[in-house]
Amino acid sequence: MLAALLSTLVLALSAQAATLKLQSPKLVVTDSMGTQLRSDSFSLSKQVAEAVELGAKDILKMTFQVLDQETGNGVQPHQTFLRFYDEKTNEEGIQPVRVTPGGKAKFELNLSKPPLSLPPTPNGDPLKVSLIIGTSQYDPISVELFDLVLPKSQPAPENPLESTFHVLPEIHHTFRADNKMPPQPISFAFIGIVLAPWAILLSLWSQVVPKPSRLFSPSILPFVASLGAFEGLLFWYWVDLKLGQVLLYGFMLSLPTFFAGKTALASIGSQRLGRK
Amino acid sequence: MAPRAAQIQPTASSAVETLWKAYNDGTPNRLKFIDSFLFFLMLSGIVQFVYCVLVSSFPYNAFLAGFGSTVGQFVLTASLRSQVNPDNKDEFKEVSPERAFADFALGSIVLHFFVYNFLG
Amino acid sequence: MFPLKKLIILAVGLFGLTSAKSSTGNSVLVVVEAAQKDDFSIFFDGMRDQGYELTFRGPKEEAPLLIEYDEPKFAHVIVLASDTKNFAKDITPQSLISLTHLKTNLILGLSTKQTPLTSLASEFGLIPPPPGTPLISYFPKREEPSTLIPITPKVQDSAVLQSRNNHPIWFSGSPHALGNNPLLVPILRAPVESFASEVDGGSPDAIVDSADKGGEGFWAGSQLGVVTGFQTLDGARVTWVGGVDVFSDEYIQKQSSKRRGVQSGNRQFAHDVVAWTFQESLVLRIDKVEHHRVNTTEPRDQYTIKDQLEFNAYISKFNPKNRKWEPFSALKDLQLEFTMLDPHIRTSLPAVSGTPGKYSANFRAPDRHGVFKFVVDYKRKGWTALHSSTTVAVVPPRHDGYPRFLSAAWPYYAGAISTSVGFFLFSAFWLAGEVRESWKRPGKASKIE
Repeated sequence: MLAALLSTLVLALSAQAATLKLQSPKLVVTDSMGTQLRSDSFSLSKQVAEAVELGAKDILKMTFQVLDQETGNGVQPHQTFLRFYDEKTNEEGIQPVRVTPGGKAKFELNLSKPPLSLPPTPNGDPLKVSLIIGTSQYDPISVELFDLVLPKSQPAPENPLESTFHVLPEIHHTFRADNKMPPQPISFAFIGIVLAPWAILLSLWSQVVPKPSRLFSPSILPFVASLGAFEGLLFWYWVDLKLGQVLLYGFMLSLPTFFAGKTALASIGSQRLGRK
Repeated sequence: MAPRAAQIQPTASSAVETLWKAYNDGTPNRLKFIDSFLFFLMLSGIVQFVYCVLVSSFPYNAFLAGFGSTVGQFVLTASLRSQVNPDNKDEFKEVSPERAFADFALGSIVLHFFVYNFLG
Repeated sequence: MFPLKKLIILAVGLFGLTSAKSSTGNSVLVVVEAAQKDDFSIFFDGMRDQGYELTFRGPKEEAPLLIEYDEPKFAHVIVLASDTKNFAKDITPQSLISLTHLKTNLILGLSTKQTPLTSLASEFGLIPPPPGTPLISYFPKREEPSTLIPITPKVQDSAVLQSRNNHPIWFSGSPHALGNNPLLVPILRAPVESFASEVDGGSPDAIVDSADKGGEGFWAGSQLGVVTGFQTLDGARVTWVGGVDVFSDEYIQKQSSKRRGVQSGNRQFAHDVVAWTFQESLVLRIDKVEHHRVNTTEPRDQYTIKDQLEFNAYISKFNPKNRKWEPFSALKDLQLEFTMLDPHIRTSLPAVSGTPGKYSANFRAPDRHGVFKFVVDYKRKGWTALHSSTTVAVVPPRHDGYPRFLSAAWPYYAGAISTSVGFFLFSAFWLAGEVRESWKRPGKASKIE
């Protein structure tokens, strides 16, 4: 470990911190027909003020030459990349630039055949374009050159599981509408109408009713009372009781009703036949 | 001769009047008593049906129970009337009027049990 | 000088780092060549301080086995032998995968050489570059060789790294491109200006040609990962390390040549990676779920349609410092689904203030009847996946569960009651009346006159 450290120290001391510069950097935007839409120069010290806009079939060409600042010789760096970066979605694409051994570099971006590394721009946000140059024995360069606006593209394909890693939309259940009830006064009024036939019944009966002379005789009354009790039991069942209870009480009530009925009807029958 | 000729005039209103007079004169009071009850039940059923159609059938089970109670009671009362009518004595030899009433009462109680069950 | 430095660093480490036990056990198997074992001594001592028991095994040794009688023998496994091409019989990609099914956590080291682990990495959604192309970066300008890269993690990197200091993490090794599998948890990404290339300078033309070949021919930029984790859905965690030297003593003790006196962040990085992978940090579990009708406390296995239901979940997080599960109320986006084949209801499950760890939601059961499930399914990058499913039946109302005595039915009630009353009066008069007189025909009477 000691030896390695010493050797790197020696190397560091010996290597000159040499710098590179760009000669005649130019960017040209042409459309598919060849007419020039824009021609600009870019530099390492200042960003191009206006964003470069490309249409769906336009071509962007960048040319420059990499030279050693001191000697002026052409340098072919190991790494000459253009980085396209979308700040909002954090998507990045890196495209290497072909550089001749003499340092001449040429890059072409043809939107009718875009490179696979170009990040998707689904919202049309500008991409930051930077130049990265790295090679041994020279200082590295990483500089933002300009903003690039591309036409809207398809978003990056998403893994089908991806949506389950985020909040999913809420689902509410639409219930079937509750049955609407008519207004209470109408129902109330109809109670009166339903009970109206009683007036007719009572008036008719007042003319033809057989006189209830034997109502309170001991043979008739129990039967009438038990019929009334049955009706009362059934009303009570409607309001409060359960089925088992009403059947039990009904059974219990049916026994006296049966005997009372036998007595009552026998006496009526004998009255009908006997006195005849 | 003249009064008879006057009696044979076949107008509609006089036919109804004759019918009504025959009914009034020929029916014992007991049967008229039953008939008024029948008429009452029919009116009650009609009113409930009109309410269902016009206003709301929503608790449909309640409509069926109420309407069914009038219809069922009508049927039981009508069968009681035909069984106790003295003119039908030859039809119902084994059934005395008391037996008919006992059947009527039992049937009505059972009917009302089902009606209150379904009334909800 | 060096041993003293090591002692000082150890002392500082003991002071600074707290000992933490994992939530799933503390037996660790380290698969490392015997010759390289001493290169990681600080890393191993750090793990012992964290409370782990280490067992060492060479990659070609037969014992101790990873899995014996279908049971995992160790809670965690680290494979630092990243250059070995031939492992022992029981260390195969298949056995490592079955270890993850048995809830064992793994740290696997990759290198620029092609090993059996390289093909396994592709199964996890990582795309390694061709063999012999380590990660190179000329930035920042430094005296160290271009293959030794200081990486300063950025704020938007994952929550796995717990410290936010600016100490660089020294790395050398192979990067990998990340697929879009959401189960991947990027822990450390490559710097923007880095790329994969042959060691001896490589040719720029070859780089351009490989990029022209197609999307996968070129490895560059911050979309590459260097240390990447993988959270499986049943809880095991696997971390892929592009170069095991990031754990080595040399890098832990390294001082930056450019910035004097700046410590390397490797020790803290190793601690964080171990803490995440071995289930210390970002570990959640559901303690209990309960469901009942609103305003009652008893759960039922049968609810009626349109009932108001309440669902509570109790969630705790493992605290490695005191090795306890503590109630955790900071989940903001927990959701509950009420599902019968498809979710019928999906609602948020917010934390209840006042009761730590309790999340509660109220909703109305749909008016469909059937067998439903309360499903809590929470997956977020880096966190344990939470999943709970409780089955209940939703039935239509019983025959006496419907509303009664409605105002719309008053006329019907009146009709039924009046029939009853009419019957009673009829029977009373019928039974009570004089028999003979009432049978006489009125017409006869007049005729007799």
